[in-house]
Amino acid sequence: MNVVVCVKQIPDPATPGELDASTKTLRRSGSIILDDSDAYGVEMGLQLADKAGGGEVILVSMAPNNENKGLRTALAMGAAKALLISDEALAGSDALSTAKVLAKAIERADADLILTATESTDGYTGTIPAQVAELLGLPMVTFAKHIEVDGDRVKVQRQTEAGYDEVESPLPAVVSVTAGVVEPRYPSFKGIMAAKGKPVDELKVADLGLDAGQVGWAGARQEIADVSAAEERKAGEIVEDEGDGAERIVAFLEQLKVI
Amino acid sequence: MEFSESAEHQMLRRAVGDLTAKYGHEYFLERARSGGKTTELWNELGRNGFLGVGLPEEYGGGGGGISELAVVCEEVAAQGCPLLLILVSAAICAEVITRFGNEDQKRAWLPGLARGDKMVFAITEPDAGSNSHKVATTATRDGDVYRLRGTKTYISGVDEADRMLVVTRTGVDEITGHAQLSLFVVDTDAPRLERTLIPTEITAPERQFQLFFEDVEVPADRLVGEEGAGLRQVFFGLNPERITGACISTGIGRYALAKAAAYARERSVWGVPIGTHQGVSHPLATAKIELELARLMTTKAAWLHDHDADRNVAGEAANMAKYAAAEAGLHCLDAAIQTHGGNGMASEYGLADLWGLARLLRIAPVSREMVLNFVAQQTLGLPKSY
Repeated sequence: MNVVVCVKQIPDPATPGELDASTKTLRRSGSIILDDSDAYGVEMGLQLADKAGGGEVILVSMAPNNENKGLRTALAMGAAKALLISDEALAGSDALSTAKVLAKAIERADADLILTATESTDGYTGTIPAQVAELLGLPMVTFAKHIEVDGDRVKVQRQTEAGYDEVESPLPAVVSVTAGVVEPRYPSFKGIMAAKGKPVDELKVADLGLDAGQVGWAGARQEIADVSAAEERKAGEIVEDEGDGAERIVAFLEQLKVI
Repeated sequence: MEFSESAEHQMLRRAVGDLTAKYGHEYFLERARSGGKTTELWNELGRNGFLGVGLPEEYGGGGGGISELAVVCEEVAAQGCPLLLILVSAAICAEVITRFGNEDQKRAWLPGLARGDKMVFAITEPDAGSNSHKVATTATRDGDVYRLRGTKTYISGVDEADRMLVVTRTGVDEITGHAQLSLFVVDTDAPRLERTLIPTEITAPERQFQLFFEDVEVPADRLVGEEGAGLRQVFFGLNPERITGACISTGIGRYALAKAAAYARERSVWGVPIGTHQGVSHPLATAKIELELARLMTTKAAWLHDHDADRNVAGEAANMAKYAAAEAGLHCLDAAIQTHGGNGMASEYGLADLWGLARLLRIAPVSREMVLNFVAQQTLGLPKSY
């Protein structure tokens, strides 16, 4: 079974992020890593391919400047190869343009299952998985906390606020996974060394049969109107316990309608 | 020449750092204070192949070298979990057995060491601290066994290892009068091997022991390498020990400076963060420079060792790295404590508890004075004082 995992390579969240004032977009220089939230999909894909007794995990990623550091991490975990789409024409791509590019790349991979995270750690739109499924004309299951493949069907426990739903879908399908789905492995040293020799196919927009006008700034239907700093969290209220501490906490929780 | 870190080393660093960060300094401290061990962390590092990165692949290792083990060792320490047994088990013992063990011995012990079995190293004696020529623990051949008699001191982690590599005297060189040394792998629970704990002021999970070999029988096939060639063989293990020892120091230095810089950016008592004041920032910057210089020499020493450079050149670099790193680690920790003011001594800030270990690394695995002797005599050609 071949599993495609969509992975994003993002600026290391441990270093302070910076916005480009003119484009209002995140600067993607400096240390780039595999988005932590994508490590779950990679691990799930590896386990499913392993359980199926054959097939491989293929990574699909779109990134500026042929960036492949994050891909190398996922390859070191055990993925077999990667498709990397990198093109100056992609600068300024909104979520839908990104989904178009990913979908076109996924079409080349002959996948039985496509895994994504629920959202990226730097962009948080959370819209791309559904857009990719729609563009590919495939069924989609979101928020998977458990996945099993049974023949040509996928069984998913889908996280909900109250618990989980059991959902089944024919394959191929797109499934977005939560951080609870599996515990990602650490790349072993052998895996790290083996990743050096694994293929990363670099593709341009034209290779995918897309027109440069459909993507990037030119194709964007979404515009960033304004960017402002998140409001700083206000200092909490300190309740001095003068014998009525418990009652005051209860009153506070009631006011929040928590109890 | 190539001074930027390879993508592979960066990835290894991140993987080990992420794994260790799950545990962190509080875990380390809790175990050290309660007399517990860092077994979960050690085993997880072993399971993922990080303790065996330097061992040959045919024996279950990662196929890397001391350069990779150095990355592992530093990264673990930089997350606040300095693990002394890496330099004993994964550096010295694994190196000596890989180089000098016979095929049966390598098959017997290396895969376990690669997975995280612990083997400790027993060389120092009450009357032969840094002077290996004076080793007095004897091994006498008696049929199929050797009989070991003598005392070893400051042997780390005997209580958590299954085996140890013991340096013994099997003869005397008639010309020099120096001991002829031989190495044996001895089970830590061998009959007539007694141990007593040496209480120390080091806050670490590894404890120190004095060992008494009272006619301990060791099968002859536990002799590693050639009888009488032990000193030469031990020397091959000492460079990895010095290099990984340096990495514990630089790891502690990184841990301390990261905490200090974060504190100095946030803490404000005169209206601005205290890091604004040069009285605070300059000692941290100075320590950072010393730290990076020490890391550079440590990386060089590991590279020279892995590339089988001339023994004197590799030894010189390992000694210099060990010296510089121990000093830098202490200076970083000192500057970090000073930056924290009174909080530097508070348990919850997790700095002062590392002082004993950072200070120990100026003494062990080779003392500052012995490094200076080496450089004075070997590098500068000055007369020997002893």
